[in-house]
Amino acid sequence: MRLLPIFKRAAKKDFFTASQAAVADTGLRRKLENATGRHLEHVAATRAEFPPYDSERDTSRRIKEDAIARLDDLLIQLKENLEANGCRVFVAADAAEARKYIVDLARERGARRVVKGKSMATEEIELNAALAAAGCEVVETDLGEYIVQLRGERPSHIITPAIHLSKEDVGELFHEKLDIPYTAEPEALTAVARERLREVFLAADMGVTGANFAIAETGTLVLVENEGNGRMSSTLPEIFVAVMGIEKVIPSMADLSHFLEVLARTATGQKLTTYTNFVSGPRRAGEADGPREVHVVMIDNGRSAMLADPVLREALYCLRCGACLNVCPIYRRVGGHAYGSTYPGPIGSIVSPSLFGGATATLPFASTLCGACREICPVKIDIPRILLHLRWKETADKDGTGKGDPALPTPIWPRSAHRARSGLKAFSRLAKHPLTMRVMGRIAALALWPFARRGYVRWMPPPFGNWTSVRDFPVPRLRRWGKARNRPRGVAANNGTQA
Amino acid sequence: MAEFHKLIANVRDALEHHGAPAHNGTHHHAAAVPTAEAARRSELASQFARELHALGGHFLGILSSKETVAGVLEVAAGLNARSVAVGAGIANDPAPIVDALERASIGVIRTAAITDDPARAELRDKLARCDFAVVEADYAIAATGTLAMLATPERPGSLTLLPPVNVILVDAGRILTDLAAVLAAIGAASIASHRLALVTGPSRTADIEKRIVVGVHGPREVHVAVVWHGDD
Repeated sequence: MRLLPIFKRAAKKDFFTASQAAVADTGLRRKLENATGRHLEHVAATRAEFPPYDSERDTSRRIKEDAIARLDDLLIQLKENLEANGCRVFVAADAAEARKYIVDLARERGARRVVKGKSMATEEIELNAALAAAGCEVVETDLGEYIVQLRGERPSHIITPAIHLSKEDVGELFHEKLDIPYTAEPEALTAVARERLREVFLAADMGVTGANFAIAETGTLVLVENEGNGRMSSTLPEIFVAVMGIEKVIPSMADLSHFLEVLARTATGQKLTTYTNFVSGPRRAGEADGPREVHVVMIDNGRSAMLADPVLREALYCLRCGACLNVCPIYRRVGGHAYGSTYPGPIGSIVSPSLFGGATATLPFASTLCGACREICPVKIDIPRILLHLRWKETADKDGTGKGDPALPTPIWPRSAHRARSGLKAFSRLAKHPLTMRVMGRIAALALWPFARRGYVRWMPPPFGNWTSVRDFPVPRLRRWGKARNRPRGVAANNGTQA
Repeated sequence: MAEFHKLIANVRDALEHHGAPAHNGTHHHAAAVPTAEAARRSELASQFARELHALGGHFLGILSSKETVAGVLEVAAGLNARSVAVGAGIANDPAPIVDALERASIGVIRTAAITDDPARAELRDKLARCDFAVVEADYAIAATGTLAMLATPERPGSLTLLPPVNVILVDAGRILTDLAAVLAAIGAASIASHRLALVTGPSRTADIEKRIVVGVHGPREVHVAVVWHGDD
């Protein structure tokens, strides 16, 4: 049954169409279950041995609330301090401005060989294509990003870009593209990538990465990673460019440690990532390495619009740890590509409509609202609440014209969604009358009785057959009248208060 | 410039100057149990060793200066090393290590301040081709098995990035309990003026099926010696 709206101005591949194909791909589901399951085991183990985990989450959240509430002042302070440290700061209102600045810079400096550290912000602004069009050779150096770049794909996960591929897939890819004998050993494949990418690093003219945090107090960028690709990209080339969303700024160095205590534990199940790199400026006199020039590109690209919405603002607290993807029952079924956005999964569903618009406006509907994302989030973002808010924005009749938010594309609801809605309306009317409800329940139970076999209904005539074709239906027990009322009161009262 | 003001104006509009919720950014550490300094140091060193081991690093031990030299020679022998880079010391003079390596006919690359581009390229090339590097860490974090390396002209960051193997020395007095303590000890001013790397075990990835593989771009082996001056 189709319950997602189709959007008039939507791109061809909306979530609904793309997810149909992904759901049918049982191989993909196996790979995703495999990898996300392993991640969740690691996270559970690390959390268990760090008692202050939850209080560090609360502290991190409070710092983000504070930082986002005075984002203007912090950005001014950050810019001043970065410049005092010798960095050049460029502020880009949108993706096009950010791309233009970096492409122009590469052109002016004659930089042709560009290495990229793992970065979602540069994916967001589609930098690679722009640099390639300007004649640069751009190489992704994070292993997962390298793999998807060789396949001509985009990452399907925020921190594990090639999560949709098995080691056999990678083996075949390397055999074909890198001309090596086939192997599916992750160790051997990694060794090949190390050797190839080392040459690329040593020859690079320009390094581009994102930034996980930007510290206003000191004018410092913090890059968190495991492989060394971020460290290489920010140490070896003469020109280093960091692209950061404006929400990455935090007030002080003392705040940073709280985030670092929770980030790796949630993202990968590590206590701390292998490398935490602090870059405050270009190399000083006498230094043997480090870039000659450091450029910081701050991008707005829809973030200040998110800030203006008091509910959506919370989405700016996100650290991009990717954990909400791994727990999401929808993501685990369909993978990242079906979302049609740089940012997939629960967090992608709340930030993409503001950042990209178009077909991503349907993404808030791609959720069961189960709440697992909120439970795992290191800064406790209430993602289900924001999803509901965005659904309301998309569909509510605010100005009496029968249309939703005029800034968003007009949804066309499929007939099945209308049927479901009128069904739910009828149910809610019924549910307000307990006696009628109970009578109807009894009638339904009696009607099911002829189909029951050993306590279960395994087949029903159409249109109810859709239900029994995928699951068995337990036969409702016919209770005596009034039994429900005899339930002890304490139990019912407790239901609402237990978290 | 105009763009920046426009952005700030946008952000201000969006915020409409809501009152900022106050937060308390200070750290609360449990009051330390009074113990002898030596007992505290050895406890932190052994906690560090456990964490390093869990990360796949090699702990060479809590060593005197002499034993440290022997430890470095042992690593060199194990790797059949022909060329070793040695960074300038912090609390420990690396001269005895350099002497011992040279006596064993191993080529030593010393890092020092560099001002011209050819010398810079040459050093980079040597560091990329050497067998391993010996360098002293500014601090270590016991809780996570992390080493904090502040880049200076005498101790470039490449020492712990380009060579395939690292031997990292850390003074017993410079192992602190947690991340917050190390960041505070280094201080905001130093971080604003130097590049800092926190190194937690060997370079690793989990990008293929979330299986952990060690040795991607950075060193694949990290050996650590805690240098103790007590009975020298």
